[in-house]
This record gives sequence, structure tokens and C-alpha cells, in this order.
Amino acid sequence: MKRFLAVSLLCILLALHLFTLGRAAHQRKTLPRNVDYSYVLPSPILKITALEFDGLASDFLFLQALVFEGSTFERKERPRVKEWEYRWMYNTLSASTDLDPYFFDPYYFGNANLTWEGNLIRETNTMLDKGSRYRDWDWMLPFYIGFNNFYFLQDNEKASEYLMEASKRPNSPSLLPTLAARLAYKGKKTENAVIFLQEIIKKTDDESTKKTYEKRLNALKGILFLERAVVAYQDRFKKPPEKLDELMTKDVIREIPQDPYGGEFYIDKDGSIKTTSNLR
Amino acid sequence: MTAIWPIAVITFKEGIRNRAIYGISIFALLLLGANLLISSMIMQEVGKVAVDMALSTVSFAGLLLVLFIGINLMAKDLDKKTIYMVLSRPISRFQYILGKFFGMTLLILVTLSVLSIFAGLSIVMVKMSYPGYFPRFSWSMVALAISFTTLMLILLSALSFLFASFASTSFITLVLTIITYIIGQSISDVKALVEAPQIVGIQVSPLTVKVVQIAYYIFPNLSLFDIKTQAAHGLAVSPSYIFWVVSYGFIYTCIAIILAAIIFRRREFP
Repeated sequence: MKRFLAVSLLCILLALHLFTLGRAAHQRKTLPRNVDYSYVLPSPILKITALEFDGLASDFLFLQALVFEGSTFERKERPRVKEWEYRWMYNTLSASTDLDPYFFDPYYFGNANLTWEGNLIRETNTMLDKGSRYRDWDWMLPFYIGFNNFYFLQDNEKASEYLMEASKRPNSPSLLPTLAARLAYKGKKTENAVIFLQEIIKKTDDESTKKTYEKRLNALKGILFLERAVVAYQDRFKKPPEKLDELMTKDVIREIPQDPYGGEFYIDKDGSIKTTSNLR
Repeated sequence: MTAIWPIAVITFKEGIRNRAIYGISIFALLLLGANLLISSMIMQEVGKVAVDMALSTVSFAGLLLVLFIGINLMAKDLDKKTIYMVLSRPISRFQYILGKFFGMTLLILVTLSVLSIFAGLSIVMVKMSYPGYFPRFSWSMVALAISFTTLMLILLSALSFLFASFASTSFITLVLTIITYIIGQSISDVKALVEAPQIVGIQVSPLTVKVVQIAYYIFPNLSLFDIKTQAAHGLAVSPSYIFWVVSYGFIYTCIAIILAAIIFRRREFP
């Protein structure tokens, strides 16, 4: 009898255990977030607290940023990631690379996310510069800096400097010196950017990063296509078109390409091709 | 020497029979299993992360070994008064300490060898799953990093003997050893920080700087033995660095053991 009582009591408690666990875990979700995504400890302090596990701490900081970025894909609001969140991501990746400046992934991930959407060009370049100094065998990092200087900061001189640096490193693609030389000419911005991006995609092998880059490449190809059409229009009619529709009505092109970011292409006041999505 | 060897063997046997060693091994195996999981989340440098995980696990398990088994080997003798039995035999206290220390060293060497085999296996497993992501991997650097960790653990256990020689209970020895480990691993970073505090925008009083500088010369600089980052990226470590670190470890260990023997010789038992 006693044993029966003990067993049935245990069964009830086990069921209650599962129930309470479920309720408590559910309630936990409604608590204010306990992970503070706004502050990252300064790296000298992190270095001290990580003891001999600097490398591991660096890996986990990187994973934290990666997992955070991944979690934002569930969000409905636009922009998907807020400005201060990009700043937090930058600080985290920067701390990760302070703990282990040779670790390639934070640079790679940071360059793919902080520049285009995050608009943290100069900061990203500073971080990449650190990586380029430590990983002196790796041509990718100066190549990234070169691209950022050329595309975002419109500093062709610096861009070509970094590309030359990249071309001196082992296994760099043979077109780098040519590209560096091309940058010396003004103009042809979109065309050069397409060449750049195609090169980056060749060296990108994980699917999600590749997709982000391919989306941009397609957008840029659209812009390049329209830019060439505008030039052709100007040649034929001796005046620039006012609207993109004119290119179609006057039979210069058959259709206007779609912006993969969901915006619409238009001709800006200065005559350049822009899109309402701002490529974000 | 004839008296030292039997003590070393009995110490080693006592350590290897300790149940805690199973716990530590299971924990290490779990972490090495986690290596596969974590490495799969990395985009580019999988090899680096796999080596990081493997080496850190070996280090951490070794640390647990020194703290929770090593300290018991000598301090329990004092705690449980079994030391009277040993000291009533015709061996000097110096021989006793040395024997215990050699036994502990043997235990560290054997356990770390076993752990390294498992760590190696976990790296091989990750490497087979992601063969293209190990561009700068070198086994010799991994082996060197584990050897350095072994040296660090031997040094730390020598210090635990020093603390046990004067501490009244094994708990105090444990606390002192943990504190020494933490200070030893961080002292060079702390020194760098207090000597240039403007980097993080804090103010440090001149007294603190002096205290840290003095501590730097007293406590062992354990971070010298940490070459996990270099191993993970396959970066070169010069032979002269290896020579000087090994010499430093050897000399510090000798100092700790000799001090332990001197203090222990003067100790009176109630």
C-alpha cells in the first residue's frame, strides 16, 4: 500500500514537473530581455576575463552576432535591423577580432552585413584593416577594403592602393592589378562594381552570404543595363531621357529590369540611375 | 630516490582510482562532441574553431584534474591525518613531497595523453566533415600547444603543493590554487591594462600600478604557456620561445617544490 502511494505520488509529481516547466518557460519569454544587445565589454576587459580561453571567447562573440543576425529574419518590421543593433553587431565583431585578430569569420561576416545594410563603412574598414595587418597572407581583406573605398566612399585612389596590396598576396586572382588600374579612371563605377562583386561571389561558398551578394549583383546589373540604355538614348536623340519609360516608348530597351530589393528604378536629377529601395 | 619512486607510484594509483576522473572524462568527451555541433555553425574558418574547442577542452579538463584530484592527493593526507603513517617510516619529508609531486606529474601526463587522443579524434571528425576548411592546420602545432598546457598544469600543481605545505585544510589550498590560476592567466593582460588605462577610458591610481607590477613578478605568468591561438591558425612559434618558456616553467616549478619542502619540513603536526 505504501509503495503504491509513493509511486502514484511520484507519477503525479512528474506530470506536475512537466506542466510547471512548460508554464515557467512560457512566462520566462514575457520577461524583459536579459541579453543586453546594446553594450559590449571593452576588449581589454574581455581579454582579462577570458583567462586562457581567448580563442574560444572570440568564437562565441562571433556566434552571438551571427545568431542575432539570423534571428532578425523573423522580424516583420522594416528596416529589419535597427541602426543601434548594427552598431552593437559591429562592437561585438570588433571585440571578437580583438580577442583573436587572426579569426577570418568576423571580418567576412561583418563586411557582408555592416557595409551595405548597416552603413558602417569607415568602422568596418578599420576592423578589416586590423585583420589585413595580422592575416598578411590573405588577399581577401585588403580586397574588401578596396571595394568599400571604391564603392561607398568613392575614394578610387585608396581603393586602388588596397587592390595593389591584395594583388601582391599569394593566390590572389590575376585580374586584381587590371582592376586597380581601371579604378584610376573616373566613371564606370557600376561596371567596376559588377566586376568586383563577381570576384567576391566566386570566393564565397556558404549559401546565405552568397545569396546576399547575388541579390546585390543583380541589382547592380540592372542599374548597369539602364545606364547603358541612357547613353544609347543620348547618342540617338542628342538629349538625355527624363523618365525611364521613355527608354521603352522610344524602343531603346524592351523592358525595365526589376529591382531585387523590391524598389523601382528611376533617373535622378543628376542623370544617374537610382532605385526607391536604396538597395537595402 | 629509492623512497621517492614508491610514493610516486602509489600517488599515481590513488589519483587514477579517484571517481572524479570519470566525471572529468565524461565532461571532456561531451565538450569534444559539442565541437562537431559548434564547428558546423562556422562559415569559413571551421578548422580554427575545431582546434580552439579541442585545445580549450583539454586545458579545462586538465585544470579540473589539478584542482579536484591533485589537491586531494596531498592535502587529504594532511586532512585525514594519514600522513602520520607515512612520516613514521624511514623517509624524509623532502622525499615525501617530491614523491607526491612526481606521482601527480605522472597522473597529469597520462590523463592529458588520453584526453589529447580524444581531442585529436574530434578534430579528425570535424576535418572529415569539412575537409576544405582547414587551410592552415598543423598537427605539430596542436601537439605543441597541448605540451605547453601540460607544463602549465604541472607548474600549477607544484604551486598547490606549496600552498598545501602551510594551509590548514585542503579547502584553503583549493581556493589559493584557483586564485593563483586566475591571476596567473590574466596578470600580463592586467599589467598591460593598468599601464595604459586610457584605452578603455578608466583611471588607475599609481599605487595600483605598483601593486600589479609587483604581483607580475611574484605570480607565475601562466599566459606564456597559452599558444592556442597560434596553434589554431597554424602560426609559427620560434624555437627560442619554446626554449625560454620551457626553462621558465621548469625553474618556477623547482622553486615552488623546494619552497614547499622547506616549509613542510618545519611544519609541526599536532
